[in-house]
Amino acid sequence: MNRLSRINTIWRKELLDTLRDRRTLIAMIFVPMVLYPAMMLGSLQGFELQFSRLTKEEYRVAVSSEEVRTWLRWVLDTDAARRPGVEGLPAEKVIELAEQREPGASPNEPPLSPEQSAEDAARAHVRENPPEYTIIVVPNADRLREKVMSGDAHVGLLLDSGVPARDSTDSTGVTLLVDQTDVRSQQIAAPGLHGVLQRLADFMLAQRLRQMSLDPAFVHPIEVRQQSVAPPEKVGGSILGQIVPLILVIMTITGAIYPAIDLTAGERERGTLETLMVAPVPTVDLIAGKFVVVALIAMLSAALNLLSIGGTVYLGGLGDLLSRGSPVAIPLNALPWVLLALVPLAIMFSATLLAVCSFARSFKEAQNYVMPVMVGAMIPAVVGILPGTRLEGPLLIMPVTNIVILTRDLFTGRFDVFAIVWVTLSTTLYAGAAVAVAAKLFGQEAVLFADSGSLKTLLRRRFYRPADRPTVAQAFFVLAAVFSINFFAQQRLLSAPGMAGSLRFWLILGAVIVVLFGLVPFAAAAYMRVRIRPALGLTRPHPLGLAAALCFGLSTWILAQAWFTWQQTWLPMPPEMEQVYEEMVAALGDTSPLVMVLFLALIPAVCEELFFRGYALSGLRGGLGKAGAVVVVAVAFGIYHHSVHRLFVTTALGLLLGLLVIQYRSIWPAMLAHLLHNGLSGLSAREDGLKPALTWLGYSLGADGAPPLPWVMAAATLAVVGVVLCVRVTGREKALENGAAILQHGNQ
Amino acid sequence: MIRVEGLTKVFPNPDGTEKTAVDHISFEVQPAEIYGLLGPNGAGKTTTLRMISGLLRPTDGQVIIKGEEVTRRPELVKRHIGYLTANTGLYARLTPFEMLEYFATLYNIPRDVARRRIAELVGWLGMDSYIRLRCGALSTGQKQRVNIARALIADPPILVLDEPTLGLDVLSNRLILEFIRTQAAAGKAVLLSTHALDEIDQMCRRMGLIHNGRLIAEGELDTLRAQTGRQRLSEVFLHLVGATDPVFTQ
Repeated sequence: MNRLSRINTIWRKELLDTLRDRRTLIAMIFVPMVLYPAMMLGSLQGFELQFSRLTKEEYRVAVSSEEVRTWLRWVLDTDAARRPGVEGLPAEKVIELAEQREPGASPNEPPLSPEQSAEDAARAHVRENPPEYTIIVVPNADRLREKVMSGDAHVGLLLDSGVPARDSTDSTGVTLLVDQTDVRSQQIAAPGLHGVLQRLADFMLAQRLRQMSLDPAFVHPIEVRQQSVAPPEKVGGSILGQIVPLILVIMTITGAIYPAIDLTAGERERGTLETLMVAPVPTVDLIAGKFVVVALIAMLSAALNLLSIGGTVYLGGLGDLLSRGSPVAIPLNALPWVLLALVPLAIMFSATLLAVCSFARSFKEAQNYVMPVMVGAMIPAVVGILPGTRLEGPLLIMPVTNIVILTRDLFTGRFDVFAIVWVTLSTTLYAGAAVAVAAKLFGQEAVLFADSGSLKTLLRRRFYRPADRPTVAQAFFVLAAVFSINFFAQQRLLSAPGMAGSLRFWLILGAVIVVLFGLVPFAAAAYMRVRIRPALGLTRPHPLGLAAALCFGLSTWILAQAWFTWQQTWLPMPPEMEQVYEEMVAALGDTSPLVMVLFLALIPAVCEELFFRGYALSGLRGGLGKAGAVVVVAVAFGIYHHSVHRLFVTTALGLLLGLLVIQYRSIWPAMLAHLLHNGLSGLSAREDGLKPALTWLGYSLGADGAPPLPWVMAAATLAVVGVVLCVRVTGREKALENGAAILQHGNQ
Repeated sequence: MIRVEGLTKVFPNPDGTEKTAVDHISFEVQPAEIYGLLGPNGAGKTTTLRMISGLLRPTDGQVIIKGEEVTRRPELVKRHIGYLTANTGLYARLTPFEMLEYFATLYNIPRDVARRRIAELVGWLGMDSYIRLRCGALSTGQKQRVNIARALIADPPILVLDEPTLGLDVLSNRLILEFIRTQAAAGKAVLLSTHALDEIDQMCRRMGLIHNGRLIAEGELDTLRAQTGRQRLSEVFLHLVGATDPVFTQ
């Protein structure tokens, strides 16, 4: 039975088993489809009910004199006549209309932008529809404060001077004293009174203008209006973008939690784990089957949530409340993309939860472990929904945050294709590492059997068995860790002011590369008792391997230059980025060519090869096979360069270098090719380097930066020769090499 | 068919010390033989069986099954072993039939062959009445029969059985012991671990006695009786264990 059909058998059985579990069904279907809309609508209707109850109550306004009381009473009684739609009507009609007026029925109520909260909307509503007020009089201003603070009055009204006369032309300052901790004071009494006084002010202004025979336009020389140009789909997208990503994150985790616990710790607790482990199936296949089910259920759960939220927002009236009358439509075209963005998220969470739960010995223990994951996911998720966050810089690869922002951007239709690539690749890498860790933990004796000693065996060096190459889990884990650290280090380095153009930049970058790519593989291999020579490929190179390396090293720099020129026509590098690169290279331009070779070629060639084609490739080869490992390492190599513009070239170079190492089983040819590629790229542009010699040989770049065609053709031919040398390593040569490796190993 | 050589397992304790659960054990089990592994609770029997079945990696020593060292090719060796312990539970939400079919697939048995094999096992173990019920609803005896059927689904030449009759009533107990005997008669090598002395007495010609992780006596039952000068197996047991552990001599 091949691996895929075995995993197929496992996941189908696990799915059947899981779907028969009531708890999974509750978490997956009941919560999103029933409980969640019910809660959302319930709380919404509760809010509306409470709000309308509050607006019908009578509120107390405290004033400091009888005179102010009389004035305020008059203001309140005549307010109805000034409300929109009733101006110019006879008094009895106004009162009749005021009695009939329903809350929220004001025809002129301005629509709110989607950014405004429900609280703002409620306050705006109260300003137009004030509640009934009773006026109480207190002796002085200090007592007024006390009255409001004690709650005897909901709002206090203080006039700076006396009561304004009807025909006055002065200005009177009015202060409303509010208790911010009291909803009645803050949300109803004060905004209501504010609205009443504002209408009085508008009315008095209009009267004064009339008396002076001035047009109202006189005091409004400029009338500023704001008009939304967003189509209804965008408004809907913006509303959904505020709430949906966070809910999706929560629901994806919720959906994955029960199956993840049930299929790992639960299985162990029920005693079926030992039954399963005794079957002739590799642990990786078992965990892969389980992982498929957890990820499927997480995605299904998230998709059901998406549907449920959509239904609740548009059928349940939540959209109307949030948009306050703006035309809203579901951005249907965004939904498939949002669902697609959920795939890596579900994969990452499923793998993380499986890893965490694999660590647990019982259902209860697993539940305790899941809580920190949930909280740990919420923090970056909340960062993602902060207003104004953009998908750039470190946020591009920040797990969870990047998906939350991407989901929001997908809803509003403002997204960048490269950002999607970054988010997907980095999340997939994290997910891969999490799956690898899950596989590693799941098969551990300490996790399998309670009497097998403590979990320290997982970390203690003494319990690692000596091996010739790292495991897939170790390789993935180290790849993901170095990826993140390197990304943040480079971002920090490039964002430091004036750093890119200084030699200090190269010194620090060199140190980062040496530590992360050069020392980490040695340290990881040494700690995990992996034999360094075979794992990092530090074996004697085959002459044909060196020949192939020469072919690549002498040709790829020309091909890369040609590719960049062509790429500029369809994927131009932004000028700022170009400037940063130029500054970086210029910093080395003033130094000796040897210094340039050291920083640009030697350090990267040695360290990056040790890490990628050494540690990572030999580790991944065990689980992914030769071709799979070469491709994954090449893509990782491309991504590590943190530039979309260099992604194609670095990935292609990674493929060639991987091929070289996998076929000739030595890291040295790859280092040679890498050194030549980087070194020749740098030196070919220097007057004190190879430029004069190359010019003499007829190599000069065109106006668009393209190398001469004959050179490109020759380089392509040379590269093909290199590939042929790699592919045609005959069985005999391989056998000889194997024999040599075994002999060498035996002699150690 | 099973050859155990100097098998040792060391576990780390939470306090940083180490515990030797199995200490240089060696024995052999031949085809058509039921070999008894006897020992008090915590003696190291289950750890030994787990190492034999490839579930645990030995710290030292080796297990050779049909000429293959277990840790070298665990998946291949697992194919030859039918493993049953008190810890091998059933999937409560699957029926015995679904469970047997699932394991048949994991053992790479073609569907038609698997169906025939399941029918055969259902007949032998009398499982007709509950083959389509969920395992969670079965009695202890019924569950144990399903578990035996699961261990035998691939018709392995080796059976490793840990307390196969634990908690069973007299009837089920008899049926299962009878079944094991039939399997051995058919040429299978059976490693039977138990602390039920009468089962060893009834079923085995040779046995090993494990105490505190070490094999303190090994050989034919009659030889052990002659060595100790005791006739009843319980007395033989106490005599042998008492020689190494002062608690038992008091």
